[in-house]
Amino acid sequence: MQRRAFLQNIGLAAAAAAVVTPGSVWGAEAPKGPNAMGIDAALKAVTGGAKVTPSSKVHLKAPEIAENGAVVPVTVEVDSPMSADDYVKAIHVFATKNSNVRCADVMLTPMNGKAMFATRIKLGSTQDVLVVAETSKGEFLSAKQNVKVTIGGCG
Amino acid sequence: MAEAKSLIKLKPKKFKTGESVKLSFMVMHPMETGMRKDKKTGQIVPADYINEVKFFFNDTPFTTIQVWESVSTNPVFTVDFKIPGAGTLKVVYKTSKGETFEQTKKVKPKG
Repeated sequence: MQRRAFLQNIGLAAAAAAVVTPGSVWGAEAPKGPNAMGIDAALKAVTGGAKVTPSSKVHLKAPEIAENGAVVPVTVEVDSPMSADDYVKAIHVFATKNSNVRCADVMLTPMNGKAMFATRIKLGSTQDVLVVAETSKGEFLSAKQNVKVTIGGCG
Repeated sequence: MAEAKSLIKLKPKKFKTGESVKLSFMVMHPMETGMRKDKKTGQIVPADYINEVKFFFNDTPFTTIQVWESVSTNPVFTVDFKIPGAGTLKVVYKTSKGETFEQTKKVKPKG
């Protein structure tokens, strides 16, 4: 009986997760792929449906071929004066084919001398790394680069 | 988990007021995604990752990073920082388990 109840509970939980996940942005600590999110949903969550324009102002530095997908250095620089009325508000880094495409969302202020951010991310497979920068004027500028991964870094 | 080792680095080490430096924050942290299986036991390793890093200068927040699972193990976060003067840098980071840690560093510009 206990076993049956247990299985039923699992079934219910799975059904609930399936229903809730696409809508909720922050889907707590479910055991499997808790924050799984497609690139479209993630972009919408970040921009609120605004148009994203590819721009030469955004410089994305990432290796073309990453031997180890677990450690892929990514550097983003955005051309901006970073003055009080014209600065880069946020930099969002996405890995388009990871289970959760969002990697980091950086909120900047004019106290940062340059709009720069660098970190190391995990990539599950060969994919595009997409960067979206939000300026204080409400523009969304993007840049992307394909990274070939020989050994995946997830799992 | 006990408090993870962390470190704040400024590059270059010598700077003047008003100069831009690279501010790196490094943490020793496993960054478990919650999707990896332990090869010996076959059990899923529970998620444990840093989900927020906040930078303060003299208790004024200036950069917030929302972090997700896809950031590498032992992460390094680098941002640019314009030295406004002498003071204390503080970095507060939170993990997905709800723990909060912080690290401080004194900033002494020369000239």
